[in-house]
Amino acid sequence: MKNLDELTYYEILKIPINSSSFEIKRAYKDALSTYNENSLVTYSLFSNEERDKILKTIKEAFLTLIDENKRTAYDSILVDSGQIKVSIASIENQEKPPRAHTYNMTDNDDSAERVKKKLRKKELETLCNEIFSNGLISGDDLKKMRKTAGIELSEINVVTKISVSVLKSMEENRIESLPPGLYLKNFLRLYAETLQIDPQKVIDGYLKHISSAQKK
Amino acid sequence: MTQIYPIGGGKGGVGKSFITVNLGALLAKWGKKVVLIDLDLGGSNLHTLLGINHQKGGINRFLNKTVKNLENTAVSTLIQNLSFIGSSLCSMEVANLLHAHKLKIINAIQKLSFDYILLDLGTGTNFNTLDFFLTSNQGIFICTPEPTAIENSFRFIKAVYLRKLKQIVKRHSFNSAVKKAIIPPNPEAMTSPDIIEIMLKHDPDREKFLRNSLSEFKFKFILNQFRKNLDLTMGDKIEDLCNRHFYSNFQFLGNVGYDVRIHDSVLSKEIFIHRYPYTPPAMDMKKIAEKIINNRPWNH
Repeated sequence: MKNLDELTYYEILKIPINSSSFEIKRAYKDALSTYNENSLVTYSLFSNEERDKILKTIKEAFLTLIDENKRTAYDSILVDSGQIKVSIASIENQEKPPRAHTYNMTDNDDSAERVKKKLRKKELETLCNEIFSNGLISGDDLKKMRKTAGIELSEINVVTKISVSVLKSMEENRIESLPPGLYLKNFLRLYAETLQIDPQKVIDGYLKHISSAQKK
Repeated sequence: MTQIYPIGGGKGGVGKSFITVNLGALLAKWGKKVVLIDLDLGGSNLHTLLGINHQKGGINRFLNKTVKNLENTAVSTLIQNLSFIGSSLCSMEVANLLHAHKLKIINAIQKLSFDYILLDLGTGTNFNTLDFFLTSNQGIFICTPEPTAIENSFRFIKAVYLRKLKQIVKRHSFNSAVKKAIIPPNPEAMTSPDIIEIMLKHDPDREKFLRNSLSEFKFKFILNQFRKNLDLTMGDKIEDLCNRHFYSNFQFLGNVGYDVRIHDSVLSKEIFIHRYPYTPPAMDMKKIAEKIINNRPWNH
């Protein structure tokens, strides 16, 4: 078995050396989907240690290439060792592709893990059972569950990409500023999945709560 | 030039025999001289899929020396140009083939004069299956898009790989430490990386030779029972992944769609592409057959 040691960071992510940050992000996402532990295509191909090592290398490649300074330093190492040609590298340096919209993308991966670790609380389960038994779920209930899980709105934002203002509208029952039906359902699903609670129950309960509130 | 395609894949029930029969029939329809050989010794049923009821004998007659030439045990099928060598009349103990018999069969297969020789192999990774798979410098493995089948496929690839690696070390000159590593009984089960590591330590000059020898082997694979809602890029992803992490060459031949009518064709003992020529799986296999025909060995 070959591991990724002999490849450059560009080869690891399967991208050309003049890739934009958008392409790098997409390639990173693709690589993670291939090599993550739930991926079907690599199922049983690697031992846990091998997989961890590969994922670590991929992450390192991503964090280096997405950071402009680190990337420049890395490129010059490649040029020095003759792995890429100077001409290509210098063209790349002159013409920087526009930076894609990004909010601290480099930390994104860690946040997802951090949020995952914070969970596993027994309290949350008890609270959820209590709330689910009512049938209706209000924004306050959502907030209660989130607080019990110990998750901040900003953290949900990082994991789900739902903007904080929308999350707030959801929690504060501001029906007029909620997104249309299908989006709302999706947002509720992501919200519930982040807290690792039953998405269907949250969706049903919250929508029921809204429709009953509208009638009043 | 004769092309031998062993058709294997670790897991049972993924459709090895089904694909062998249908690919064979498709290649024959293109006017190629094709022979199918049932090497699922002890688990033969290629004849049933072909609708052959009364067999006069196959490999058994070659092994007990009633027939001197393996080619003479081939019988014709309902399809023109498509011949068949069965093994269902072999002894009940044939699954534990003698080593000498195995070599005799492999040698005879390599001498057959057909355009395409398709070998239907059994389940699992026993030495017979692996050695039959290594009869040629290329082979097709069949997989389904399920964790169980994927797991068995990777195991099959790794087992073929280790067998090939040992074969290369056995047949060529290597440092005695490397040679010793492959001789049974080993204290620990040797894996391919172990052997390569020993070689890098004791015989570093031969590394390139070994790599080249390993890269001569071409794995091709088919994803069978592919359902509509699945990721269509799965096969390409596996191809890419295997080319990245193994030294051999991998080629994805295509998906074959899932279809309930496949079961009907098995029940009626009729060749699927004959009974249902315009169904998605038949079209999928047709594309694969075309790919195989266009696959010139010197194109790689």
